[in-house]
Amino acid sequence: MEGLLTVQLLVNAVVCVVVIHVILAHAGLFIYFERKISAYMQDRIGPNRTGFNLGQEFLPRFGFWGLGQSLADGIKFFVKEDFTPANVDKALFSLAPLVGVVPALIGFIVIPWGGVWDAPDMTILGLTFTGGPVVVAGANINIGVVFLLAVASLGVYGVTLGGWASNNKYSFLGGLRCTAQMISYEIPLGLALLAVLLLAGTVIPDEIVRHQTEHGWMLLSQPIAAAIFFICGLAEANRAPFDNAECEQELVGGFHTEYSSMRYALFPLAEYAHMTTAAAFFTLLFLGGYHLPFLPGAQPEHTVLAAAFLKFVVFFSKTVLVVCFMMVVRWTIPRLRFDQVMMVGWQSVIPISLLAVVVTSVMVYMGQTDLVSMLIANGVMAAGILAVMPLMPRYTANRRIRLYGSRFSPMPDEVVFTGPVSRLAREDRPVEGSVATH
Amino acid sequence: MAIPANQITNVNPSPLNRLESAYLPEIFKGFGTTMRHFFTSFGQGPTSRTMQYPEERRENLPVEEGGINASNFRGVHRLNRDEDGRVRCVACMMCPTICPARCIHIEAAEAPWDDREKYPKKFEIDELRCIFCGMCEEACPVDAIELTTEYDIVGLSRQEMVFDKEKLLHIHDLTIGKKPM
Repeated sequence: MEGLLTVQLLVNAVVCVVVIHVILAHAGLFIYFERKISAYMQDRIGPNRTGFNLGQEFLPRFGFWGLGQSLADGIKFFVKEDFTPANVDKALFSLAPLVGVVPALIGFIVIPWGGVWDAPDMTILGLTFTGGPVVVAGANINIGVVFLLAVASLGVYGVTLGGWASNNKYSFLGGLRCTAQMISYEIPLGLALLAVLLLAGTVIPDEIVRHQTEHGWMLLSQPIAAAIFFICGLAEANRAPFDNAECEQELVGGFHTEYSSMRYALFPLAEYAHMTTAAAFFTLLFLGGYHLPFLPGAQPEHTVLAAAFLKFVVFFSKTVLVVCFMMVVRWTIPRLRFDQVMMVGWQSVIPISLLAVVVTSVMVYMGQTDLVSMLIANGVMAAGILAVMPLMPRYTANRRIRLYGSRFSPMPDEVVFTGPVSRLAREDRPVEGSVATH
Repeated sequence: MAIPANQITNVNPSPLNRLESAYLPEIFKGFGTTMRHFFTSFGQGPTSRTMQYPEERRENLPVEEGGINASNFRGVHRLNRDEDGRVRCVACMMCPTICPARCIHIEAAEAPWDDREKYPKKFEIDELRCIFCGMCEEACPVDAIELTTEYDIVGLSRQEMVFDKEKLLHIHDLTIGKKPM
C-alpha cells in the first residue's frame, strides 16, 4: 500500500483530469479556429457575431470576435432531437460514437507535458505520498510511444461501426474506405516512428525529448520521417485531404449521415481530439517536446514545479501550432480520390518510410547520428527518390477510358469534331467544308 | 468531315516535371497562396471581400463598388395617406386585377367621407407571394399604393408576412421622409 501512494500517482490523476477537460474544451475552440482560418484564407471574415450571451437579450452582452459560436453550437447539439432511424442496429449505433471518441482521448496519457518534477513528500488528508522524480504525464508507462500505435489503430472502430450500424449504403461505403485507409497508413506511421526511435535509442517519451535537447530536434535530423509522420497523422485522424470516409460529394456525408444531435457531435469531437493527439505526438517526436532552445525554464535539467508549468505551456503551444498547420493543409489541398489515397499510401509513402528506416539503421550502425550527417543522409534520400520516381511503374488502371464519339478521349482511329458544339456557335463561325444542318 | 487546324484544341495538360510530380513542392506553393490570402485579409484586411451587412448596407455604397441604386429599388409596399391623414385608396380594384402574383386582397366598403364613393375596409398584401414587379403602383389611379426602397422585411411566420392596412399605412409613416410621394 505504501509503494502505491506516491506523488507520481497524484500527478497522473491530476494531469488526466486536467488534460481531458482541456482537450474537450479545445475541440470547440479548434472548430472556431478552423472556421476563422478558413474564412481568412478565402477572403471572408468567419464567425464574428455570437458573444457569450448567445444572442439572448436578457443576458449582458459579453464576448467579441464571435467567440461564443462554439458554445452556441454545442448547446444546439445538446438540445436538438436525437433521432434514431428505423432498421439501424440500435446497440452499435449508440456505441459507435463512444468507440470513436475514447481512443482519441486515451492517446494523450503518455505525453510528457511537463517533463520531470522533483517532488517532495506530501501529506494530504492524513495520507503520505512519497516524492521523488515525477513525470508530469497522464501515465508513466515505459513502453511510451508504442502505446500510440496500439491506441491509434482503435480509432477505426468508431467510424466502421458507425457506418455499418447505420444500415445505409453510403455510410457503409464511408466506413469501408476509412478502414482501408487507416490500416494502410498505420504501416508508414509505425515505420516513421521507428526511424525516430532508432535515432533516440529509447521508447520512453521523456527520454526522447531529452535526446532532442542534446542532439537537435528530430525535425532537422529526420525531415522525411517527419513529413511521413505528419501525412499519416492526417490520414489517421480522417482529416482532409484524406477525409474520404465523409466526403459529401460522393457519400452524402459518409459514416455520420444517419447521426444527429450529440451523437453526431461526438464524431467531430473525435476528429479534433485525434488531430490534437497526432499534433501532440508530432511535437513530442519531432519538435523537441517541451524544449525551447533559448527559454531558460524549458530545459530538462530544470525540475522545479514552476518549470513543469512552463513546459506544459510550451508543449501545448507547439501542439496548437501544429493543429493550426493541419487546418492550413485542409483548406489548401483538395481531397484525394480514394484510389489516389491508396496509391499514395502503398506506392510512395510506405516505400519511402521503409527507405527512411533502412537509411537510419545504417547511419546508427555506422555511428554517424549527429545532425549534419543525418541531414546529408536525408538529402541523399530525397535525391534518390526523385531519381527513381520516373522509373516507377505508371498507374494506368483509371486513365481516361476511350469511347466512340468522346470529345476528349476518342478511339484511336476516330477523328472527332472538337470545335464549338452548339449549332448557334457553329453558324457563327462556319467550319470549312461542313454542311450546315438545320 | 475535315477539321481545320484552328478548330482543334489540345485539352491534354502538359506532363508534370520531376519536382511537380513529387507533390510536396507544389503543395508548399499552395500553402504560400493560402497564407498570403490569410495575412492580407486578416481582420478585414485589404483583400477581405465581406460586407458587414446590418451595419454596412449596399445602398450606402457607390454602384461601381457593388452598391445598389436605391432610388429606383422596388422594396416593400406602402399605402399612402392624403393631406388629412386618410388612406388615399379608393378601392377601385385596379391593383388586384393587374397583380400577376395575386397577392393583393381588398374588401371595399362605402366611404365615410364625402369626396369618394368607396374606401378599402380591408387591404392585405401577402409579401411572401409578391414578386415586387411594381405593376400595382403603375396601375393605381390615385397614387395610393407605392413600393418603397426597404428590402429587409422579416417575420417569424407566414401569417405575419401578410401585411394589413394598418401596417402598410405605418410603413408610409416610416418611409415618407426617405421617399416623398
